[in-house]
Amino acid sequence: MDEIRMVREAYGEPAPPTLREMTRARALFTDEAPPRRRRWRLKAGIGLVAVGAAASVAIALTGPGGGGGTPGAPHAQVDLDREAVLAAASKAEQVPAGKYWYSDHITGQSYIMRTKAGTYAIAGAHTEFFRWAGARKGMGEGFWGRDLPARPLTAADEAVWKRDGSPKSFRVWSNDHYYTYTAAATDWKVDRPSAIGGGTFGRLTTRQVHDLPSDPAALAARFLKPKPGDAKGLALNTPRLKVLTVGTLLEELPVSPAVRAGLMRALARQPGIHPIGKVTDLLGRTGVALASDPVRNTATGEFGAPKAEQGTFSSRAVIVFDQKTGALLGQHEELVEPGGPYRAQRPGFVINYVLVRGLGWAESQPKPPARLPF
Amino acid sequence: MIAPPEAPPGDAGVIGRSRDEPELFGAIFDAYFAEIHRYLARRLDAHTADDLAAETFAVAFRGRDRYDLSRPNARPWLYGIATNLAGRHRRDERRKLTALARVGPGAAAAGHEDAVAARVTAEGVRGPLARAVAALPAGQRDVLLLVVLGGLSYEEVAVALDVPFGTVSSRLNRARKKLRKALGDTDPLLDDQEGASR
Repeated sequence: MDEIRMVREAYGEPAPPTLREMTRARALFTDEAPPRRRRWRLKAGIGLVAVGAAASVAIALTGPGGGGGTPGAPHAQVDLDREAVLAAASKAEQVPAGKYWYSDHITGQSYIMRTKAGTYAIAGAHTEFFRWAGARKGMGEGFWGRDLPARPLTAADEAVWKRDGSPKSFRVWSNDHYYTYTAAATDWKVDRPSAIGGGTFGRLTTRQVHDLPSDPAALAARFLKPKPGDAKGLALNTPRLKVLTVGTLLEELPVSPAVRAGLMRALARQPGIHPIGKVTDLLGRTGVALASDPVRNTATGEFGAPKAEQGTFSSRAVIVFDQKTGALLGQHEELVEPGGPYRAQRPGFVINYVLVRGLGWAESQPKPPARLPF
Repeated sequence: MIAPPEAPPGDAGVIGRSRDEPELFGAIFDAYFAEIHRYLARRLDAHTADDLAAETFAVAFRGRDRYDLSRPNARPWLYGIATNLAGRHRRDERRKLTALARVGPGAAAAGHEDAVAARVTAEGVRGPLARAVAALPAGQRDVLLLVVLGGLSYEEVAVALDVPFGTVSSRLNRARKKLRKALGDTDPLLDDQEGASR
């Protein structure tokens, strides 16, 4: 196992400083002119979400009435394989010819508040990203971000929060320290818009995305199997990581419906991946989901975590698709066996999440929505 | 070299002379700015790196009178300054790691498809890896990232952080052990299914 190499690869390769930045930096000590600017700082990059306008992959719940499925039925079967591909095949020729691709994501992390009024969960580290890119190089691209208010996670959490006096700030344990999240939002800030960008998604060009195979086996061989040269002994192909991989691909690449269907089929066929029926996400949208086998997690006191944050729980990765369109709604990590920091939570509790708020092709340069999602 | 014979070798000579001729410090900037920027951009993000890399050289420039001229190579000194400045951006670093755990880098450069495939595979371990890096005590994280991202030798890390050589290796060993544990623990198949069926 070469964890050093893994860390290096995970950090990736940043864009080099621009000539303008270098000139400015040099001027800092030659000219004594240090106007520091406060800018929106991008997190490592949310890719484009590859579903939306072209959405055409139907996922049908099998069962009485052909597509109904009882809401809340625990194990409604998702016929990803057949229905998804049939629908995708019929629409595959309608690959969108839009000019600008955009995606709008919300990311959040649950934290536990333990108060006299009771225990409740809040969403913190709450951020919305909006990215657009022209289909071809030179059409431009832009990357926006804003902090969203920290808030009680669900209606049940909100009830306890109200009994707690509806506080506007939340001091919670985060990894190895306490951090206080607040209910304040920030304005959208754009991060270095590029007039000459466009035409690339993740590390693929529009052409390379277009040329991806749609065959599930080919996609699985390419994205879901270990490669020669991967660090030995690493759990690179666990069910959980496969969910994350497919989610990332669908988020980053504007793939055609056929490729999207292929990725969904490839994931659904993997051992350790199960359809779990209907899931309602934090935006109140109901979709059909696949989930990984659960993983056991243990938090120790090694990094100073208080007793209440220590212990063992298990969780699984869940990926949710719109039943009618096949659009990716998001992915999240959810609690399976309560314990440790989540001993007071129920199975299904969302530990962290990426919600796809919107995405698709537009004819003119897209702009981020003013309205807050929550 | 234009340096007079008695001048210290390498960067130290340039820094020494820049005490009287400030513009000479530009050579230090030119030699190391891109590298320091890259370290900070990977550790935090490109835009914070713009500010912090500039600040690193401003701090270095102001502190050039105190530079130990017995050290020919200014690299560890500059990484040390950059690391201290990065330490003030703990929230940014935490957010970077949180984001890293969830999503892949939106890299600008078009890459080879095979490289993408490899990257996506690697992305799978990002969650546990990034969380493990985030959970490291600051001292261990600094050592780890100076070695991994900066490519510094143990000796250089010791100079950069002003800690004994032995401390560098013990911190790095502890950090690696935690990362291995975090990565190894992500395999539910081995633990739950295969283990149980044997």
